[in-house]
Amino acid sequence: MKRKKSFIIAFILPCLLSLLIMYLYPVIRTVLMSFFGIESVTASMSEWTFNGLDNYIKIFGSPTFQRAMTNMLLIWLVGGIIVLCFALLFAVILTSGIRFKKFFRAAIYLPNIISAVALATMWIQYIYNQDYGLLNKLLEAVGLEGKNWLGTDMKFWAMLFAFTFGAVGYYMLIFISGIERIPEDLYEAATIDGANKVKQFTSITMPLLRSIFKTNITFWSVNCITFFIWSKMFAPVSTEASTIVPVVYLYDTVFGTTGNVQRDAGAGAAIGVVLAVFVGIIYFIMNKLIKDDDLEF
Amino acid sequence: MKKKLVGLLLCAAMVGTTVLAGCGGDSGSSDDSSTTEDSTATDDAEEESSDDSAEGGANYDGVELTYWSMWTNAEPQGKVIQEAVDAFQEQTGAKVTIEWKGRDIKNILSSSLEAEENIDLFEDDYNRIANNYKDYVADLTEMADAAGYADQSFAVFNDQAKEWAGFLPCVTEQPQVGGIFYNQDLFEEAGITETPATWDEFLDACKALKDKDISPMALDSTYAPFFFGYHLSRYIGQDATAELATSGGWSDNEKVAQAADDMIEFVKAGYLADGAPDEFPASQNKMGLTEDVAMVVCANYVTSEVNNNTGVELNWGLFNYPSVEGGADSSSAYAGANSIAVTKYSENQQAAFDLALFITSGEYDQKMADTAGQIPADPANTAPASQNGTVEVLNATTAPLTWNMGLNANADLLSQIQEKVVKLFEGSYSTGADFAADMDSLY
Amino acid sequence: MSKKEKVVYKEKINWRKEAALLPGYLIVLIWIAFTAAFLIWILAASLSTSREIFSGSVFKFESGFHFENYVNAWSSSNVSVFFMNSLLYAVVSCAAVILISDPAAYVLSRYTFLGNKPIKTSLVLAMSIPEVMIIMPIYALTAQYHIRGRILLMVLYIFIRVPFTTTYLLNFFASLSRSYEEAAAIDGCSPGKTFWQIMLPLIQPAIVTVTIFNFLSVWNEFFMALIFATSTEMTPVGVGLLQIVNGMKYTGDYGGLFAAVIIVFLPTFLLYIFLSEKIIAGVTGGGVKG
Repeated sequence: MKRKKSFIIAFILPCLLSLLIMYLYPVIRTVLMSFFGIESVTASMSEWTFNGLDNYIKIFGSPTFQRAMTNMLLIWLVGGIIVLCFALLFAVILTSGIRFKKFFRAAIYLPNIISAVALATMWIQYIYNQDYGLLNKLLEAVGLEGKNWLGTDMKFWAMLFAFTFGAVGYYMLIFISGIERIPEDLYEAATIDGANKVKQFTSITMPLLRSIFKTNITFWSVNCITFFIWSKMFAPVSTEASTIVPVVYLYDTVFGTTGNVQRDAGAGAAIGVVLAVFVGIIYFIMNKLIKDDDLEF
Repeated sequence: MKKKLVGLLLCAAMVGTTVLAGCGGDSGSSDDSSTTEDSTATDDAEEESSDDSAEGGANYDGVELTYWSMWTNAEPQGKVIQEAVDAFQEQTGAKVTIEWKGRDIKNILSSSLEAEENIDLFEDDYNRIANNYKDYVADLTEMADAAGYADQSFAVFNDQAKEWAGFLPCVTEQPQVGGIFYNQDLFEEAGITETPATWDEFLDACKALKDKDISPMALDSTYAPFFFGYHLSRYIGQDATAELATSGGWSDNEKVAQAADDMIEFVKAGYLADGAPDEFPASQNKMGLTEDVAMVVCANYVTSEVNNNTGVELNWGLFNYPSVEGGADSSSAYAGANSIAVTKYSENQQAAFDLALFITSGEYDQKMADTAGQIPADPANTAPASQNGTVEVLNATTAPLTWNMGLNANADLLSQIQEKVVKLFEGSYSTGADFAADMDSLY
Repeated sequence: MSKKEKVVYKEKINWRKEAALLPGYLIVLIWIAFTAAFLIWILAASLSTSREIFSGSVFKFESGFHFENYVNAWSSSNVSVFFMNSLLYAVVSCAAVILISDPAAYVLSRYTFLGNKPIKTSLVLAMSIPEVMIIMPIYALTAQYHIRGRILLMVLYIFIRVPFTTTYLLNFFASLSRSYEEAAAIDGCSPGKTFWQIMLPLIQPAIVTVTIFNFLSVWNEFFMALIFATSTEMTPVGVGLLQIVNGMKYTGDYGGLFAAVIIVFLPTFLLYIFLSEKIIAGVTGGGVKG
């Protein structure tokens, strides 16, 4: 028995250690930091000064943080609708008995494996370029006026669309796997009953995809809360208000920006905690709202 | 089959690690693509370098220096630094380790200096060195006096840095100067013989250019606050601008509306290039691509940027930003510098200082100026053609303006202020008062 | 699934059915054409000069194909360094994470002991904690103890992949029958030996899938690298590309930038071409995070 115990410990210990070092300790320390006034992220605990909820008051009072949160919510809502709609559409098309399904599936998922830095560079330098960009060329071809897609009014949407384009494939795959697990005979029975394709979709596919929706919405939400790289790429030199998101704001707050050197690690920690709480809320709501049915994933 | 695959992957992993650990280490030294084109420049510089041999000749056998660079070894600046360091090692016997940190060096410097990390000398913006790191850098005054540094540098940066830090904290490496950079050929074509000194003269010049179907001004949104900052500080000065940015009250100062109105008129008159304000570097590139855009408000590196990006050598010139009527500040120019500082806790401060001077004066400074297309840090060297007029403006500057002339003073609102300024150039405001009111909505 | 597959392999084309699917084909094709267009543009740009890129004439190749962009990117823009770093990080962390997670997953799925449930729960929790919650203390820790260089990112990448990998493998072990171990126990095999010799080979398909996934995510990782890669020598491809983008100001070599993009993209693309089925199975199989 003793041997078995040591065997278990030996097998579990590295995993446990990584949990403690990489997650437990940092999370506790970050939560603590958020209640202290700390300038440099590397300051030792003795230099911290307790200031209660001041960090939270400070960030929620900051118009830039509010802007960042608004941007995040817009990404979540608008981007979420676009991504999930397209993903579902493609999933339905690809499971409708279409030829070359595997090829299409792979091609639509492809952007997910490309480094976002590379993707964003391409969007900025090519698709959205005012003079020779693909988008304006297409518009001109159909007789419409081109536009400055990266001006202050459109830049956010340009970024959002570029981001959603790459994301669709991932959610599509999850939808596909859900649709394929729906028993075929349900559709056969429906066909015999005279239900057309649309009817079948609304009364069979959709209800049975509930838990898949839950998975997708949860993933999407977490993705939005940790949104960073696209914002960074669409404003590579200095952070811009039109594309700022909370994680970028956190990064600037903790490390300072090119134009300004003030730093505040305590406020940065508070932003981190707020974001983590958001993730928690999302999980909680999703679990309450959509109960898992037997089609588990 | 699958078993084999996993085995193979794991094997590959093991082998891969050992091989990589081996070859990753020496890949840093593979950049022997030295610059050979500037033979004329080095001839000039040879005379200079003989003066410097006094300090370059010191013997630093056994001395080890660690040098944190804000460049990467892929950039022209980094390549010249590498060459200079190699030569320094040869001459003095010191051993120098360069760590290429890139521009993100600003994120790590504070914490690294606090922790007294092994750094002898490092590069950053002189503003940051003199203000943020002043507790961690050595006072170079004595060494500078002994080496006659005052004659090998622009006084404006030394004075400014001393004013901030209270002592000489750094050695200027790359001076920068801002103003209106223009294509001399286009000015000639439009019959403009004298560069404009006042805003009215400037508008006349724009009109003359426009009449010849030349777009007067390129503008990328990144530099919109630089343009407007210049204009506003001509009216109210940099300090007042910083005060506005920090605590608001834009509408209370009528000069703000006036400055904004000037910009609105400027835009309405069609003086911006097609598509401006554009995404960097699309608009400034038009100066080289179409060669019918005449000017850009920027710092001096814009000239080599445009030349590099478009493969055209334009006939560049620079004039100071025009003065405005009844303005508080009619002549200051933006000037900044990347500088080299020596850490306070370094055990080899003299050697580090000598290396800094070795890079920033004489032969290697000339090489840096020529290769990277920038202003030499040593006034005895000659600026490359793309930097025409920069040294004159720099010499005339006594109280340099900072980047964006105070608009950056508020860290938290910085990005939002910038956005509104870009909007100003996009024509989103019908009057300057609207702009001022919108700025105040941030507070 | 199987039914639909059969339809595809039928020799005869049912034209009426195909016609009904036409809108579907169209939508998918347009989307893919768009993807293809930008990939081809990047490829063309990587063979052009900066001037051609900025004047919008990349497809004309007026000055020929500039293959030297690749050479320049590889050697003088440090892409070789970034590439090797990423490869090193990805390979080492993939291997190490399996060595940590595999035994843990086995023990967690097979043995009941104090803390089993809490560990499982914390693994799932850890997967959902945003990275921004953990980077600051780790940054302080590493600065305090002067932990720098490649080893730092290697260790971080290993740790960051442990929760996902363990959870993924856990589900796999749970689906395996216990009869293997029972048989092994009767033969007098120790638990450790049973694991290495019998159980490990059995879950190799899962290991392959999860390793591909880990590889891709470490290869494309950006945020941690941005914060912890403090010098060119330890920078992986994602942040390296950003450095190149920011350095364009000084080098002006946009052709080289896109050549770098292609070089960075290539390994994942090749991996994808050969293993796309596995990757897709990985996404749909485990409820995957990133």
